[in-house]
Amino acid sequence: MNGVHDLGGEHGMGPIQYEKDEPVFHAAWEGRIYAMNRVMGAWRKWNLDASRHQIELLPPADYFRMTYYERWVESLTQRIVKGGLATRAEIESGNAAPGSPKATPPVTTANVATALIRVSARRPVAMSPRFQVGQHVRARNINPIGHTRLPRYARAKSGTIDRDHGVFLFPDTNAHYLGEKPQHVYSVRFSARELWGDQAKPQDAVYIDMWDDYLEPA
Amino acid sequence: MIDPRGVLREFGLALADDVEVRVWDSTAELRYLVLPERPAGSEQLSEEALAALITRDAMIGVAKVAFPQKGARL
Repeated sequence: MNGVHDLGGEHGMGPIQYEKDEPVFHAAWEGRIYAMNRVMGAWRKWNLDASRHQIELLPPADYFRMTYYERWVESLTQRIVKGGLATRAEIESGNAAPGSPKATPPVTTANVATALIRVSARRPVAMSPRFQVGQHVRARNINPIGHTRLPRYARAKSGTIDRDHGVFLFPDTNAHYLGEKPQHVYSVRFSARELWGDQAKPQDAVYIDMWDDYLEPA
Repeated sequence: MIDPRGVLREFGLALADDVEVRVWDSTAELRYLVLPERPAGSEQLSEEALAALITRDAMIGVAKVAFPQKGARL
């Protein structure tokens, strides 16, 4: 979707707020939310791409007002409710409703390491790549209302295949549980001038990971 | 994306005009490891001594690794 999360090339966001000796978390609750998000994933009610899409669906004004982990709280809450793990009333009160079912198997200290293993997005599928290293390609000009990893700033721009990363599941379908649609992912080199015009230095470039479906021959 | 040299300046790193800047937009489930450039004059250093020069900022690609000159106070 064309949302405010897709910030590449935007102006007016202010300078980098450089923090010396930046801590991993700025408050204890952020670490708790990080942990809860990982643990709740163990029940496989959603996947990583669906989680990302849930954050994209935040209303733009809320998105900019919230801090990074405040977005996680809202996104996690919505996924928990959608996934049927708890109701919003239960989350807000902190108590399970009487008679509500418990998710099984429970995540305990004994199985937490297994529960937290991240599933790779790489797929061992043998398929020939549509594009070869060195080939000129163009990013398709698509504007899907669902999840996509194709940045707006790269659409309809031309580049060169720099390397072939192999076969991965396709987030655009996986985020909506429409199948994994495995396909090649390439690193594509776009010259900075192709993307941003003459203000960019002629030798600079942006390398973007692109799924096969995002590309067409140039 | 649009002004990587400006962002690096905000981190305190000014790059010469003839340096080639490559921005990697990690849109897929692939992550890139920054390998800091070995500072001139450090050729004789051991692995441990080199590791001691590394900073967080060098590992995220927003700072160069500084090599203390002879006689500098550490």
